[in-house]
Amino acid sequence: MTRPLAPRTGAGPGPRTGAGTPAPGPAGSRADRPRADRPSTARTAGRRGAPALLLAPFMLLFTACTLIPIGYAVHLSLYTERRSGLGFGGTVSVFTGLGNYTRALGDPAFREGFLAVAGYCLLYIPLMLGLSLLLALLLDSALARARRFFQLALFLPHAVPGIIAALIWMYLYTPEISPVVGALDTLGAQPDLLGNPLPAVVNIALWEWAGYNMVIFYAALQAIPREVLEAARVDGAGALRTAFSVKIPLIRASLTMVGLFTVIGSLQLFTEPMILHGAAPAVTSTWTPNMYAYSAAFDRNDYGLAAAASVLLALTAAALSYAITRGGRAGSSRRAKAGA
Amino acid sequence: MSHTSRRSSRALRSATAVAATTLSLALLAACGSSGSSDSSAEAKSDGKPVTLTFWGWAKGTKDVVTAFNASHPGIQVTFEEIPSGNAGGYAKLANAVKAGNAPDVFNVEYPQLPDFVSQGAVQDISKLVGADLKKKYLPQALDLTTLGGASWALPLDAAPQAFYYRKDLFEKAQITPPKTWEEFRTAAERLKAAEPTARIATFFPDDPSTFEANSWQAGAHWFNAVGTTWDVRINGAETQRVTDYWQKMVADDLVNVMPSFSQQWTASLQKGETAGYLGASWGGGVLKSNLPDASGKWAVAPVPTWDGKPASGMLGGTTFAVSKDSKKAKAAVEFSTWATTTEEGIQARIASGTSSAFPAAPALVPVAKKAFDTAFYGGQDIYAVYSAAATSIRPDWTWGPAMGVTNTSLKDAFGKVAGRTDTIEAAVSGAQKATVAELKNRGLQVAE
Repeated sequence: MTRPLAPRTGAGPGPRTGAGTPAPGPAGSRADRPRADRPSTARTAGRRGAPALLLAPFMLLFTACTLIPIGYAVHLSLYTERRSGLGFGGTVSVFTGLGNYTRALGDPAFREGFLAVAGYCLLYIPLMLGLSLLLALLLDSALARARRFFQLALFLPHAVPGIIAALIWMYLYTPEISPVVGALDTLGAQPDLLGNPLPAVVNIALWEWAGYNMVIFYAALQAIPREVLEAARVDGAGALRTAFSVKIPLIRASLTMVGLFTVIGSLQLFTEPMILHGAAPAVTSTWTPNMYAYSAAFDRNDYGLAAAASVLLALTAAALSYAITRGGRAGSSRRAKAGA
Repeated sequence: MSHTSRRSSRALRSATAVAATTLSLALLAACGSSGSSDSSAEAKSDGKPVTLTFWGWAKGTKDVVTAFNASHPGIQVTFEEIPSGNAGGYAKLANAVKAGNAPDVFNVEYPQLPDFVSQGAVQDISKLVGADLKKKYLPQALDLTTLGGASWALPLDAAPQAFYYRKDLFEKAQITPPKTWEEFRTAAERLKAAEPTARIATFFPDDPSTFEANSWQAGAHWFNAVGTTWDVRINGAETQRVTDYWQKMVADDLVNVMPSFSQQWTASLQKGETAGYLGASWGGGVLKSNLPDASGKWAVAPVPTWDGKPASGMLGGTTFAVSKDSKKAKAAVEFSTWATTTEEGIQARIASGTSSAFPAAPALVPVAKKAFDTAFYGGQDIYAVYSAAATSIRPDWTWGPAMGVTNTSLKDAFGKVAGRTDTIEAAVSGAQKATVAELKNRGLQVAE
């Protein structure tokens, strides 16, 4: 073995290389390596065994809890139940192909659910991103006092389970029992907080999530090298200029990630409107696509339709996350090119 | 980060892991134990009692189960109280049936029974229900549990309509309980004039059952089984009359629009902003247990009618059904029979103080009457009102086989009525369309 050991110049500790294996060069060179240089098969097996063993628990749970249910949902979505006579003689499961899908897509209630979620996203995402970014920047600024306290206080709502939060807000929204509505009534304003569900639900979600996302942004801001900020200050940038021209561009990755999670979370909007549904008739049983699937399964006992609606929802979420990550990556590579 | 804090965070992490593991083990154990208790209960020959699981929400049920268990060493019932059907109980039941862990016995209301039968969730108990037992029930109630010639459930109560009102508020506005719907509207106007915040009743956008009972009372027949064809007439002429009437009541702000049995509704009753309640016999116990401070202020009157002659629909009403996969149907029917047709069963329910169920077995009405403490109604003989109403229940009403769809459609559209963005008429014709589409999708023949 004449070669020196793996060079320690690369970023981080590279994988330990065995005899005869060339040291991993800089990224990109691996593909060019000639096949003959590969380690013996026994070693490959050993090396492959370890990751397989380590991945096994995840794969097992992933298969049991995600892949199989998805497969079952797809299977369910292709069948429908038929009856004969007056319908009291039992049910027969019949293959219907894409029948459930066309029924879901043909149902205005299902389509309106997507519209409701779109409206929710339009209102919620800018508000949420803006608010949590603002809070994170304030905490990160030199002016902030009692940082730990505010960090905790702002994060605290997120520690309240979604159902409890929705119940609390439902109480605050409901006329006759809410002290807030009561106070507004005596002031002469007669708000119908439950009659207009979109802002009501957005408010609950903001209260729950702004603090959480603030923590993510704050952590990203803390990771910005202080030299960069000092350089900005030396160049004469004020606090605002630093925030907009240095800090925000540097945490763009976090912004994209939070945006992605928020969009997917919004598509799955369920708990808050479901709780409000009990007190606010304006929140119909099919207000969001997720509620549509729930109602199809448990109010109407139409599991095929429910499964089809769920699969359509999942496909939409997948398409959207693909678009966002693609868009985010394209944006960053463009920036990288522009910077070069 | 100091060493201590790192260690403590590691400790925290492992504690979390332990907690998570314990939780999942507990869940697994819970799943396992329910399975094993079922199998052990099967072994009746070795002297162990049969254990039945039972889900319901009707008032006073807990007391009934306790009394039953005390007097029946051979059968032990485990009762689990679930939310009322409309408030999620039916969803829970449907879920359990689909998952294969349904209780042996469950309560289902008359309107939803055909749907549950049609979903294959209920067992045919014809063989266990003899002619002697059938004779004990009010025919209108028995009819609603007989579908396609088979018996599917035992009726607990007939639920004739009734009008509950606040005597003091009515006196103040100088109105008497209205006999016709026309008088009802006049009374609503007078009450509102005398007390601007008070309304005579509530339109429940979340629960169409009151609207359905009113349609039934008006002579509508939403569903008819003609041979093997369903004749669906939700938007018939009789219903139209009810629709127009309530649309005007809502549009003219003569009734409150609030979810049924919500905190909002209870608060408005407490404040006197809702002075009346168009309900059914079982509502008497609900008011009594929800409004303990209003004792003595309430009274009950027959529900208004279109022509002044007594007429009633049925609003809800509970039955006992045996789930499809239960292997303890015999014990389940024995329990259900006891709960619905024996003096002890009815006595235990009404004596709980929260139930004013009107027994579907007419012979037991005196038992219920005696057991009910009428102080809340100032000593009024409320069972006399119910009895008269029960005999005026219009016969030949049939509930459709897809009331889940019909009701969901109505509820969602009524929500828009509450927001003044849609009309009751649109809700009714929407329900007609949705129901017909659903029946066709199920492969049933439909006539309109």
